[in-house]
Amino acid sequence: MNATIYVPDFLVAAVVRLEPALREKAVAVLEGEPPVVTVAAMNEAAAEAGIEPGMTKLQAAAYPVELRQRSPAQEAAAHAVLLDCAQAFSPRVEDTAADTIVLDIAGLERLFGPPAKLAQDLARRASELGLEANVAVAANPDAAIHAARGFASVTIIPPGKQAERLGSLPVDVLQVAPEILQTLDRWGVRNLRALAALPEVAIVERLGQEGLRLQKLARGAVERPLVPAEPPLEFEETMELEHAVELLEPLAFVLGRLLEQLCARLGARALATNELRLMLDLDAAQIEDSPRDRVIGRSGHRVIDSAVNSMTRSPDAPMTRFIRLPLPMLDSRLFLKLLQLELRAHPPAAPVMKVTLSAEPVQPRPGQGGLFLPATPAPDRLELTLARLAGIVGKQKIGAAEVLDTHRPDAFQMKRFAPSAPQGLKPRRESGDREIGSSEHLKTDHLMTRSPDPAMYSTMALRRFRPPLAATVEVRDGEPVRIAAGEIRGEVASVSGPWRNSGEWWKSTETTPRIDTDDHGSNWARDEWDIAVPGTQGIALYRIYRDLASSAWFVEGTYD
Amino acid sequence: MYVELHSASAFSFLEGASVPEELVDTCVAAEMPAMALLDRDGVYGSPRFHLAAKKAGVKAHIGAEITFLPLRHRDTENVSSFKFQVSRGRLETRNVKRETCCIPLLAESRAGYQNLCRLITRMKMRGPKDAPPEVIAACEDDLREYAAGLICLTGGDDGPLAAALAEGGIDAARREVERLVSIFGRENVYVELQRHFLREEEARNQAAVEIARELRLPIVASNSVRYARAWQREILDAFTAIRHHRTLGTAGRLLARNSERYVKTPREMAHLFADLPEAIAETGQLSSRLEFTLADLGYEFPRYPVPEDETMMSFLRKRTEEGARERYGRADRHLRQRARRQIERELALIEKLDLAGYFLIVWDIVRFCREQGILVQGRGSAANSAVCYSLGITAVDPIQMELLFERFLSEERGEWPDIDLDLPSGEQRERAIQYVYQRYGKLGAAMTANVITYRGRSAAREIGKVLGFDPEMLDRLAKLVGSWEYRDPDETLERQFRDGGFDLTHPRLRKFLELALAVQDLPRHLGQHSGGMVVCQGQLDSVVPLEPATMPGRVVVQWDKEDCADMGIIKVDLLGLGMMAVLEDSIAMIHRDYGEEADLAHLPADDPAVYAALQKADTVGMFQVESRAQMSCLPRLRPKCFYDIVVEVAIIRPGPIVGQMVNPYLKRRQGREPVTYPHPSLEPVLARTLGVPLFQEQLLRMAMIAAGFTGGEAEELRRAFGFKRSELRMRDIEVKLRAGMERNGIAPKAQQQIVNSITSFALYGFPESHAASFALLAYASAWLKCHYLAAFTAALLNNQPMGFYHPSTIVKDAQRHGLKFKPADVARSKRLCTLEDVSSFTFHVSRKETADGAQRETRNVKRDFAVRLGLRYVKGLREEAARALVRERERRPFASIDELARRVPELRKSELAALAEVGALNSVSSFEFQVSSENEPANLKLETRNVKHHRRDALWQVEKAARPPGPLLEEIAEADAASPLPAMSDEERLVADFRGTGLTLGPHPMAYRRREMDALGVRPARELPGLPNGKRVRAAGCVIARQRPGTARGFVFLSLEDETGIANAIITPDLFEKNRLLLVGEQFLLVEGVLQNLDNVVSVKAERVMPLAITGAATRSHDFH
Repeated sequence: MNATIYVPDFLVAAVVRLEPALREKAVAVLEGEPPVVTVAAMNEAAAEAGIEPGMTKLQAAAYPVELRQRSPAQEAAAHAVLLDCAQAFSPRVEDTAADTIVLDIAGLERLFGPPAKLAQDLARRASELGLEANVAVAANPDAAIHAARGFASVTIIPPGKQAERLGSLPVDVLQVAPEILQTLDRWGVRNLRALAALPEVAIVERLGQEGLRLQKLARGAVERPLVPAEPPLEFEETMELEHAVELLEPLAFVLGRLLEQLCARLGARALATNELRLMLDLDAAQIEDSPRDRVIGRSGHRVIDSAVNSMTRSPDAPMTRFIRLPLPMLDSRLFLKLLQLELRAHPPAAPVMKVTLSAEPVQPRPGQGGLFLPATPAPDRLELTLARLAGIVGKQKIGAAEVLDTHRPDAFQMKRFAPSAPQGLKPRRESGDREIGSSEHLKTDHLMTRSPDPAMYSTMALRRFRPPLAATVEVRDGEPVRIAAGEIRGEVASVSGPWRNSGEWWKSTETTPRIDTDDHGSNWARDEWDIAVPGTQGIALYRIYRDLASSAWFVEGTYD
Repeated sequence: MYVELHSASAFSFLEGASVPEELVDTCVAAEMPAMALLDRDGVYGSPRFHLAAKKAGVKAHIGAEITFLPLRHRDTENVSSFKFQVSRGRLETRNVKRETCCIPLLAESRAGYQNLCRLITRMKMRGPKDAPPEVIAACEDDLREYAAGLICLTGGDDGPLAAALAEGGIDAARREVERLVSIFGRENVYVELQRHFLREEEARNQAAVEIARELRLPIVASNSVRYARAWQREILDAFTAIRHHRTLGTAGRLLARNSERYVKTPREMAHLFADLPEAIAETGQLSSRLEFTLADLGYEFPRYPVPEDETMMSFLRKRTEEGARERYGRADRHLRQRARRQIERELALIEKLDLAGYFLIVWDIVRFCREQGILVQGRGSAANSAVCYSLGITAVDPIQMELLFERFLSEERGEWPDIDLDLPSGEQRERAIQYVYQRYGKLGAAMTANVITYRGRSAAREIGKVLGFDPEMLDRLAKLVGSWEYRDPDETLERQFRDGGFDLTHPRLRKFLELALAVQDLPRHLGQHSGGMVVCQGQLDSVVPLEPATMPGRVVVQWDKEDCADMGIIKVDLLGLGMMAVLEDSIAMIHRDYGEEADLAHLPADDPAVYAALQKADTVGMFQVESRAQMSCLPRLRPKCFYDIVVEVAIIRPGPIVGQMVNPYLKRRQGREPVTYPHPSLEPVLARTLGVPLFQEQLLRMAMIAAGFTGGEAEELRRAFGFKRSELRMRDIEVKLRAGMERNGIAPKAQQQIVNSITSFALYGFPESHAASFALLAYASAWLKCHYLAAFTAALLNNQPMGFYHPSTIVKDAQRHGLKFKPADVARSKRLCTLEDVSSFTFHVSRKETADGAQRETRNVKRDFAVRLGLRYVKGLREEAARALVRERERRPFASIDELARRVPELRKSELAALAEVGALNSVSSFEFQVSSENEPANLKLETRNVKHHRRDALWQVEKAARPPGPLLEEIAEADAASPLPAMSDEERLVADFRGTGLTLGPHPMAYRRREMDALGVRPARELPGLPNGKRVRAAGCVIARQRPGTARGFVFLSLEDETGIANAIITPDLFEKNRLLLVGEQFLLVEGVLQNLDNVVSVKAERVMPLAITGAATRSHDFH
């Protein structure tokens, strides 16, 4: 015998579970990002109020319904609750879908009483956990699944009565492929009874083996073994410390032991890891005394940290750090080094009470690359070096600089440095193929460098000040005449310009990061001037510019 | 003095952001005396530029930026291979990847302009429409051939000088300029300098100045204008992104660096070039050299070939006289004399204006159509001409109808007359077009262009795309734009957006809205006008560049219809009219199936059945009189003669409605209001429309009589108030009008009345001649519907979509008139709807003895036809599959579905299922059945089959037949067997009918629910006319039309169809607001309110509306919003 728990309107149920006040209300769940947020699911009350899937948030807001944003975390939690609930009754549980769990209840009568009672208990238990579920018991898993999906609350189908009881259910409980569903609809086959009644051979002739399978399902006659849910592979080691550790040195010792354990376990299963998660429980008494910034790390990294893990925002939560690796590895000493670097960069804000270390298991990478491929640095050592550098300069300042395709001067972004994936020998690009962004495209920017007569149109190199120097500039008749910026000061001897640039006008001055995730910066406009300023060592040439939005002047660089 | 000599408009298609008029406006504001328009590879915008400049008193220089392929750096092999490929007309460009630049060329003289047009034509005709630039680019030889009369600038960042400089430095640049000098001549090359505040540009300028000094060439400043105002750079950036299929975010350096390419004032330019004043001065010098403007186009109308001893005029005179004899031969003497006088007058004017050739050419096209059996009829103002009537171009007698010739042609106007020919849409029209091509040669005739501009939806879609919105959001935004025709005054865009579920406070949405509005009406690309053709004596390509259209074998000119007319190029409109095709098809069916002849030229003039139908507003499917508004007018107007139909066609137009002429006319007609005239002198003009002006001709005559205008002046007045109205012109002419009326002693009140009627009319009124031409078609369609309902309905169904109603409504209406329909059937249906003789039960035979004693048998047959639905109505069945099916069936009938599937492999499974679902396979019988039914009468056999098989049997069989049985069993024919499936219920059949064909031949969905409706107190539509005015009623039905006309102050009109007819409901703006979703979305509605039953016009003024759940079938409504 099998029992099935099914939670109708699962997306809504996942939300309502945490907000019991919504239980009696019309609720719709939204998904998507502004400006397009649409209704993903709703409960019956909301559907009756007129809500339909696909409505935008604004449209849905016109109805008397509670709107909530869809939350994968809540759904995962609700699913885990469902699984827990099932596992409390049976050791053999199938994790069929997010909203459906099947239990093997054969032989459980002695423990839980007859199936009807067990089903009632199961439903009550789910309800106590905040999920209103349908429960069905039948001779085989599929019949139980369909009954739970089709009938409200608790259904018990005695063995041999599947076809009879399931008959009134609509065909779509079978989760049929759309084209078959369309055919059945054309045939006027709307419920399982009608499907079950069709002649078998004729079904195979028309719908193939899939048709036959569906028909068997409709008759509740599919016998299949349950696919029990396996407990997830978890690699986690925890150590509670007798005495809170304040210094990194003893902490490293603890970490080293834990890492060795983890690596040995991973190795035993021929796995490696590409992500390590370190959780440090801190001495709460001391946290409150310390400034909040320290809990998170150094104040300068706060934003980045929160992007890495929103949990670190809360001062009550344990301190969590991630080490993400570009390739799967299994080297406890390397891991220890990386963790040490990470902790040196972000020391814990208070003495450590408990250390938890977990590793994400993945398949190890193959040992050998191509014979003719250029040698690349060993990934583990490279990673170590990068981590060290990041510890010194900050994570966002390390990587490979990538010039952006924009007129905005000096625009670039840092990409995480990773050796390129092994590639075969590629034929050289034909000279005729030109791409935007290729060096050829930059031709016009360096027009004069190609001149056959370099003496006449020599190119001057610009040494950029990064960041540019703020300057005070006196302007007469629209032209700069005097400048003061740190050591650069004096009359402007000669001037050329303005060179006018502006762009990204479609972006607002304040970007909203949620939408403009692919964008960099906001709109900009500036007038540049090249000026000559007499100095102590002769005349120096500078490029200065005025930011038209703020009207502020800057020295961008000096010409050699 | 500074003149902008290098500017491009939005007619450079996505490379410019302002329309020519805007450029001229800013040019005027900047006090520039002249400006040159150089669009990319074309003179698309030049007529509008020319006209705007003329109006503003600015000189408009014309030129173009020519895509050029500098071959200097290519090796000879590539050059030769390129030439070879071009000469073979192929477009292979694999080996010759080339970079193009563009040369600005200005037309100095007419010869220069002609060369420019020819050069562009040659380039464009090299490749298909939208060929990449390197395919169409001009090469050096092209330039040499057409250099005369053209002035060359060295261009900006995409010019030849810049390209050479980038590739080979200053020496290469010098060589390039020398090459240009060798092509265009030393005095015709100007070194161009531009300053947009860019470093590299300045470096280029230094090189350019140096080269100019070395070669002693003049330097000239320009701003390479791409938009009129600085902010429009945003539009240009958006266009650039569209052109490169990118979003603004990913377009990177393809976008502009700054916003400096706007129209700068001479002061700004002088300031910019303060160090090179000669560059500014030279612009004035060069401008004064450029003599050519579009006023000097040199267009010549083709001569019609006539026999040697004839002139075109004498030939036309003869043809006219021949025709007049035929037309007026049987008329009374008075009419004949009037006709002769009018024809003489017209011919004299035609001779004076040298237009004989034009009339002969149109006559020739009409003659060709007649010979080929293609229905053709002139429409529009040509129907005012007795010559056109005599030549058979038009079908309305202007003498008898006293139409005003000046509306068609006048001496003062100085423009060509406009003759539009209506032809049956589709293949027949194509034949007429091909005839004109063939007759005048490829360079002698072309279609006029149709400039596709950004409109609501396309603008929303493309702007949304470049802003990086996802497809789902684009769909939503596009749907939002352009909803109902009428907008409440408080219906702002913000509100529309909010209703559509968008929050306009989001910055990106705001930018979207701003840009989408800014690009409205900017040209997007060039299309082809549906029927406008221009013809020319010989070289049309020297008047305006020609380019290939998307349709193979078609060539279009670069100007649209209006531009051609403005430039004085004569055109003939060969318009496709769905109703003409219906008439033609009906006549063919009457000939083929009824064995009778219907001649549209000789229809009985006053057929009582036609007028009875019109008076009852029983007009579904009839031309021009079938709309809801027409239907509500017909019972009040009660047409009794042909002229009443002319009035009926003209009266339901925005002109009379806006001018509030409809009610006064109808009241006077019903004798409820006295017939008065603004002034006694106007009585002769307005008498036949009871003192109310209804036609454009009347306003012309009013101006002639009241203010003493000549015919030409009056037409000028109409145009001043017409579509291209300008305040200034209207004011001038109104002053003139009032002065004239003052002179004639017309009282101020009457003056105002006359001015009012003229202003409201000129824009939207119909010319009487046009109304008369349409009325003829309306009468013909009504006559056919009354007498040959089956043929007319079949033809109507075969030419859908057209008209006001969906096919389902047409079918239901015909059924109510007693027409029988038969369902689509693979054993009988053709692709189109056909007639089936069902008269065998009703014919009578009588024998008479003749004088010589022989017995003569007379069959007094009451012919009766049913319409067999064509396979084109089976949704999802492709045309080629339908044709293959019919072809195969004609070889041998199908014995089973299995056989059908095997013999017509073109049929996909989904198509078989679609056929089965609508019952088209029901009659394909099983093997056993065919044997037993061999000798039975056809009709009986059909009956039996219908009983035996139902749609689900077929669906059951189809599913098997569509699965390949495998090679072993392939050849074994299999008989159809009965299925275990239940037959469809009524509701299921309805759903299947509407899903599969969009209509049902069975009972109306409302018929199934009549009992429930009765219980709800709902009256059938048929009963409403019998109920008294003011009674509270309930009406219900399927919504077949929703209208919210702009002239109705927010009222919404619904047409509700039930099994007995159509009921009308009026929804007030308040009620609409409260029930918006219901009224817009529901298929079936119940309306409760007060019955308005006045003058046989019946409608329910709704006070409550309720949705009805009648059927799940997807009925359709024709929504005008």
